Amino acid sequence: MAPGAQRRTELLRGVLDLCLLAVMQEGPAYGYEMTKRLRDRGLAIVGEGSIYPLLGRLERGGLVETYRSASNGGPPRKYYRPSSAGRLALALGVSEWRAARDAVDAVLAPVKIEVAS
Amino acid sequence: MSDFVEQCRREWKRLQVPDPLAEEMAADLASDLREAEAEGVSAEELLGRSVFDPKTFAASWAAERGIIPAAPERRTRRRPLVLVAFTAVSALVVFVSALALATGQPQASIVATTRSHRPSAPAGFVPTTRHLVAQASLAAPVEWILLVLAILALGFAAWLWTSWNRSGPTRGLPA
Repeated sequence: MAPGAQRRTELLRGVLDLCLLAVMQEGPAYGYEMTKRLRDRGLAIVGEGSIYPLLGRLERGGLVETYRSASNGGPPRKYYRPSSAGRLALALGVSEWRAARDAVDAVLAPVKIEVAS
Repeated sequence: MSDFVEQCRREWKRLQVPDPLAEEMAADLASDLREAEAEGVSAEELLGRSVFDPKTFAASWAAERGIIPAAPERRTRRRPLVLVAFTAVSALVVFVSALALATGQPQASIVATTRSHRPSAPAGFVPTTRHLVAQASLAAPVEWILLVLAILALGFAAWLWTSWNRSGPTRGLPA
Protein backbone atom coordinates (compact mmCIF):
# COMPACT_ATOMS: atom_id res chain seq x y z
CA MET A 1 0.00 0.00 0.00
CA ALA A 2 1.26 3.50 -0.84
CA PRO A 3 2.35 5.60 2.17
CA GLY A 4 -0.46 8.12 1.63
CA ALA A 5 -3.11 5.44 1.42
CA GLN A 6 -1.66 3.74 4.49
CA ARG A 7 -1.98 6.96 6.49
CA ARG A 8 -5.55 7.50 5.34
CA THR A 9 -6.38 3.94 6.36
CA GLU A 10 -4.85 4.47 9.80
CA LEU A 11 -6.73 7.76 10.25
CA LEU A 12 -10.01 6.23 9.16
CA ARG A 13 -9.67 3.18 11.37
CA GLY A 14 -10.44 5.15 14.52
CA VAL A 15 -13.54 6.85 13.16
CA LEU A 16 -15.08 4.39 10.74
CA ASP A 17 -17.57 3.26 13.37
CA LEU A 18 -18.71 6.89 13.73
CA CYS A 19 -19.00 7.20 9.95
CA LEU A 20 -21.17 4.09 9.80
CA LEU A 21 -23.41 5.31 12.63
CA ALA A 22 -23.68 8.67 10.88
CA VAL A 23 -24.73 7.27 7.50
CA MET A 24 -27.23 4.86 9.03
CA GLN A 25 -28.68 7.71 11.07
CA GLU A 26 -29.71 9.31 7.76
CA GLY A 27 -31.91 6.27 7.26
CA PRO A 28 -31.73 2.53 7.89
CA ALA A 29 -29.33 0.85 5.50
CA TYR A 30 -27.89 -2.55 4.65
CA GLY A 31 -24.20 -3.30 4.23
CA TYR A 32 -23.63 -2.38 0.61
CA GLU A 33 -25.92 0.63 0.88
CA MET A 34 -23.70 2.02 3.65
CA THR A 35 -20.62 1.46 1.51
CA LYS A 36 -22.27 3.48 -1.26
CA ARG A 37 -23.18 6.34 1.07
CA LEU A 38 -19.61 6.50 2.34
CA ARG A 39 -18.20 6.36 -1.18
CA ASP A 40 -20.50 9.20 -2.27
CA ARG A 41 -18.79 11.32 0.39
CA GLY A 42 -15.32 10.42 -0.79
CA LEU A 43 -14.60 7.58 1.61
CA ALA A 44 -13.83 4.99 -1.01
CA ILE A 45 -10.87 4.06 1.15
CA VAL A 46 -13.31 1.94 3.09
CA GLY A 47 -12.37 -0.60 0.45
CA GLU A 48 -9.08 -1.06 2.31
CA GLY A 49 -11.01 -3.00 4.87
CA SER A 50 -14.52 -4.26 5.16
CA ILE A 51 -17.43 -2.84 7.07
CA TYR A 52 -18.97 -6.23 7.89
CA PRO A 53 -16.89 -7.14 10.95
CA LEU A 54 -17.31 -3.58 12.21
CA LEU A 55 -21.09 -3.81 11.81
CA GLY A 56 -20.90 -7.04 13.78
CA ARG A 57 -19.02 -5.25 16.55
CA LEU A 58 -21.58 -2.44 16.65
CA GLU A 59 -24.37 -5.00 16.81
CA ARG A 60 -22.67 -6.91 19.61
CA GLY A 61 -22.14 -3.68 21.52
CA GLY A 62 -25.81 -2.79 21.28
CA LEU A 63 -25.09 0.35 19.28
CA VAL A 64 -27.28 -0.67 16.35
CA GLU A 65 -30.64 -2.29 15.90
CA THR A 66 -31.30 -4.60 12.99
CA TYR A 67 -34.29 -5.93 11.13
CA ARG A 68 -34.86 -7.77 7.89
CA SER A 69 -36.82 -6.32 5.04
CA ALA A 70 -37.11 -6.72 1.29
CA SER A 71 -35.06 -4.27 -0.76
CA ASN A 72 -36.60 -2.94 -3.96
CA GLY A 73 -38.08 -6.28 -4.89
CA GLY A 74 -34.80 -8.04 -4.11
CA PRO A 75 -34.10 -10.59 -1.42
CA PRO A 76 -34.66 -9.64 2.23
CA ARG A 77 -31.74 -7.67 3.56
CA LYS A 78 -30.50 -6.95 7.03
CA TYR A 79 -31.03 -3.26 7.77
CA TYR A 80 -29.11 -1.38 10.44
CA ARG A 81 -30.05 1.76 12.34
CA PRO A 82 -28.49 3.34 15.44
CA SER A 83 -29.97 2.38 18.79
CA SER A 84 -30.35 5.00 21.51
CA ALA A 85 -26.94 3.91 22.83
CA GLY A 86 -25.59 4.23 19.30
CA ARG A 87 -26.91 7.76 18.90
CA LEU A 88 -25.31 8.73 22.21
CA ALA A 89 -22.02 7.11 21.15
CA LEU A 90 -22.20 9.01 17.85
CA ALA A 91 -22.75 12.34 19.58
CA LEU A 92 -19.86 11.76 21.98
CA GLY A 93 -17.63 10.45 19.21
CA VAL A 94 -18.30 13.42 16.94
CA SER A 95 -17.46 15.77 19.80
CA GLU A 96 -14.16 13.94 20.42
CA TRP A 97 -13.36 13.87 16.72
CA ARG A 98 -13.90 17.62 16.37
CA ALA A 99 -11.72 18.36 19.38
CA ALA A 100 -8.95 16.13 18.03
CA ARG A 101 -9.28 17.57 14.52
CA ASP A 102 -9.08 21.16 15.82
CA ALA A 103 -6.01 20.36 17.91
CA VAL A 104 -4.24 18.71 14.98
CA ASP A 105 -5.24 21.59 12.70
CA ALA A 106 -3.74 24.06 15.18
CA VAL A 107 -0.43 22.21 14.94
CA LEU A 108 -0.45 21.59 11.21
CA ALA A 109 -2.04 24.83 9.98
CA PRO A 110 1.19 26.89 9.94
CA VAL A 111 2.98 24.25 7.85
CA LYS A 112 3.61 25.48 4.33
CA ILE A 113 3.44 22.80 1.70
CA GLU A 114 6.17 23.15 -0.89
CA VAL A 115 6.62 20.73 -3.72
CA ALA A 116 9.97 20.70 -5.42
CA SER A 117 9.65 20.89 -9.20
CA MET B 1 -18.00 -14.27 -6.23
CA SER B 2 -20.14 -17.23 -5.17
CA ASP B 3 -16.82 -18.97 -4.59
CA PHE B 4 -15.88 -16.34 -2.00
CA VAL B 5 -19.19 -16.82 -0.21
CA GLU B 6 -18.79 -20.59 -0.33
CA GLN B 7 -15.32 -20.36 1.21
CA CYS B 8 -16.74 -18.15 3.98
CA ARG B 9 -19.53 -20.66 4.53
CA ARG B 10 -17.00 -23.51 4.85
CA GLU B 11 -14.93 -21.51 7.31
CA TRP B 12 -17.98 -20.73 9.46
CA LYS B 13 -18.86 -24.41 9.46
CA ARG B 14 -15.31 -25.28 10.51
CA LEU B 15 -15.51 -22.69 13.30
CA GLN B 16 -18.82 -24.22 14.40
CA VAL B 17 -20.83 -21.08 13.78
CA PRO B 18 -24.51 -22.04 14.20
CA ASP B 19 -26.12 -22.73 10.82
CA PRO B 20 -28.82 -20.02 11.00
CA LEU B 21 -26.22 -17.33 11.71
CA ALA B 22 -23.86 -18.61 9.02
CA GLU B 23 -26.70 -18.69 6.52
CA GLU B 24 -27.73 -15.17 7.46
CA MET B 25 -24.22 -13.78 6.97
CA ALA B 26 -23.73 -15.72 3.74
CA ALA B 27 -27.06 -14.50 2.34
CA ASP B 28 -26.32 -10.86 3.21
CA LEU B 29 -22.85 -11.10 1.72
CA ALA B 30 -24.07 -12.77 -1.45
CA SER B 31 -26.81 -10.16 -1.93
CA ASP B 32 -24.37 -7.28 -1.44
CA LEU B 33 -21.83 -8.81 -3.81
CA ARG B 34 -24.51 -9.38 -6.46
CA GLU B 35 -25.74 -5.79 -6.18
CA ALA B 36 -22.21 -4.43 -6.31
CA GLU B 37 -21.42 -6.52 -9.36
CA ALA B 38 -24.60 -5.32 -11.09
CA GLU B 39 -23.50 -1.73 -10.50
CA GLY B 40 -20.02 -2.39 -11.83
CA VAL B 41 -18.39 -2.24 -8.41
CA SER B 42 -15.69 -4.83 -7.93
CA ALA B 43 -15.65 -7.18 -4.97
CA GLU B 44 -12.33 -5.65 -3.94
CA GLU B 45 -13.95 -2.23 -3.65
CA LEU B 46 -16.54 -3.71 -1.32
CA LEU B 47 -14.37 -6.08 0.68
CA GLY B 48 -10.92 -4.58 0.35
CA ARG B 49 -7.99 -6.91 0.78
CA SER B 50 -10.30 -9.37 2.52
CA VAL B 51 -11.36 -10.55 -0.91
CA PHE B 52 -8.05 -12.40 -1.13
CA ASP B 53 -8.44 -14.02 2.28
CA PRO B 54 -11.98 -15.32 2.79
CA LYS B 55 -11.02 -17.45 5.80
CA THR B 56 -9.69 -14.52 7.81
CA PHE B 57 -12.61 -12.37 6.72
CA ALA B 58 -15.14 -14.99 7.81
CA ALA B 59 -13.42 -15.60 11.14
CA SER B 60 -13.10 -11.88 11.82
CA TRP B 61 -16.75 -11.22 11.09
CA ALA B 62 -17.92 -14.08 13.31
CA ALA B 63 -15.55 -13.02 16.10
CA GLU B 64 -16.68 -9.40 15.98
CA ARG B 65 -20.28 -10.52 16.25
CA GLY B 66 -19.31 -12.50 19.33
CA ILE B 67 -20.26 -15.82 17.76
CA ILE B 68 -16.79 -17.31 18.21
CA PRO B 69 -13.94 -16.31 20.54
CA ALA B 70 -11.38 -13.92 19.12
CA ALA B 71 -8.52 -16.31 18.30
CA PRO B 72 -5.86 -13.73 17.35
CA GLU B 73 -5.64 -12.49 20.96
CA ARG B 74 -4.88 -15.99 22.23
CA ARG B 75 -2.20 -16.41 19.60
CA THR B 76 -0.45 -13.14 20.37
CA ARG B 77 -0.06 -14.12 24.03
CA ARG B 78 0.67 -17.83 23.92
CA ARG B 79 2.44 -18.69 20.73
CA PRO B 80 5.43 -16.38 21.20
CA LEU B 81 6.13 -17.89 24.62
CA VAL B 82 6.42 -21.37 23.12
CA LEU B 83 8.48 -20.03 20.24
CA VAL B 84 10.79 -18.06 22.50
CA ALA B 85 11.41 -21.13 24.67
CA PHE B 86 12.01 -23.36 21.64
CA THR B 87 14.38 -20.85 20.05
CA ALA B 88 16.29 -20.30 23.29
CA VAL B 89 16.76 -24.04 23.92
CA SER B 90 17.92 -24.60 20.33
CA ALA B 91 20.40 -21.74 20.55
CA LEU B 92 21.69 -23.05 23.88
CA VAL B 93 22.26 -26.53 22.47
CA VAL B 94 24.10 -25.08 19.46
CA PHE B 95 26.34 -23.07 21.78
CA VAL B 96 27.09 -25.94 24.16
CA SER B 97 27.73 -28.44 21.35
CA ALA B 98 30.03 -26.05 19.53
CA LEU B 99 31.86 -25.28 22.74
CA ALA B 100 32.30 -28.97 23.53
CA LEU B 101 33.61 -29.68 20.06
CA ALA B 102 36.02 -26.77 20.18
CA THR B 103 37.47 -27.27 23.62
CA GLY B 104 36.43 -30.66 24.92
CA GLN B 105 38.72 -33.70 25.26
CA PRO B 106 38.80 -36.00 23.46
CA GLN B 107 37.68 -34.41 20.26
CA ALA B 108 37.58 -34.96 16.55
CA SER B 109 40.87 -34.36 14.78
CA ILE B 110 42.56 -34.84 11.49
CA VAL B 111 46.12 -36.13 11.61
CA ALA B 112 48.71 -36.76 8.97
CA THR B 113 50.35 -40.21 8.95
CA THR B 114 53.16 -41.59 6.91
CA ARG B 115 52.82 -45.18 5.71
CA SER B 116 54.91 -47.50 3.67
CA HIS B 117 53.28 -47.83 0.27
CA ARG B 118 55.00 -51.09 -0.81
CA PRO B 119 56.03 -53.29 2.05
CA SER B 120 57.48 -55.85 -0.36
CA ALA B 121 59.80 -53.42 -2.07
CA PRO B 122 63.55 -54.08 -1.94
CA ALA B 123 65.41 -53.01 1.14
CA GLY B 124 66.64 -49.47 0.96
CA PHE B 125 63.76 -48.31 -1.20
CA VAL B 126 60.61 -47.80 0.76
CA PRO B 127 58.26 -45.28 -0.92
CA THR B 128 55.91 -43.62 1.47
CA THR B 129 52.62 -41.78 1.11
CA ARG B 130 51.18 -39.19 3.41
CA HIS B 131 47.58 -39.93 4.45
CA LEU B 132 45.11 -37.72 6.18
CA VAL B 133 43.14 -39.72 8.70
CA ALA B 134 40.15 -38.44 10.56
CA GLN B 135 40.10 -39.53 14.15
CA ALA B 136 37.16 -39.09 16.41
CA SER B 137 36.51 -40.14 19.94
CA LEU B 138 33.32 -41.86 21.00
CA ALA B 139 32.02 -38.57 22.41
CA ALA B 140 32.52 -36.50 19.26
CA PRO B 141 29.72 -38.02 17.14
CA VAL B 142 27.21 -37.24 19.86
CA GLU B 143 28.33 -33.63 19.93
CA TRP B 144 28.21 -33.36 16.15
CA ILE B 145 24.73 -34.87 16.03
CA LEU B 146 23.55 -32.51 18.74
CA LEU B 147 25.02 -29.56 16.87
CA VAL B 148 23.38 -30.51 13.57
CA LEU B 149 20.03 -31.18 15.22
CA ALA B 150 20.14 -27.90 17.12
CA ILE B 151 20.99 -25.96 13.94
CA LEU B 152 18.05 -27.63 12.20
CA ALA B 153 15.84 -26.73 15.16
CA LEU B 154 16.99 -23.12 14.93
CA GLY B 155 16.11 -23.06 11.23
CA PHE B 156 12.69 -24.47 12.05
CA ALA B 157 12.24 -21.83 14.75
CA ALA B 158 13.15 -19.10 12.24
CA TRP B 159 10.55 -20.48 9.84
CA LEU B 160 7.93 -20.53 12.61
CA TRP B 161 8.68 -16.92 13.51
CA THR B 162 8.38 -15.85 9.88
CA SER B 163 5.09 -17.67 9.31
CA TRP B 164 3.68 -16.42 12.60
CA ASN B 165 4.55 -12.81 11.76
CA ARG B 166 2.91 -13.20 8.36
CA SER B 167 -0.32 -14.55 9.84
CA GLY B 168 -0.36 -12.16 12.79
CA PRO B 169 -3.08 -9.63 13.52
CA THR B 170 -3.74 -7.32 10.59
CA ARG B 171 -2.76 -3.73 10.92
CA GLY B 172 -5.36 -2.28 8.59
CA LEU B 173 -9.03 -1.81 9.00
CA PRO B 174 -11.07 -4.70 10.30
CA ALA B 175 -10.66 -7.47 7.79
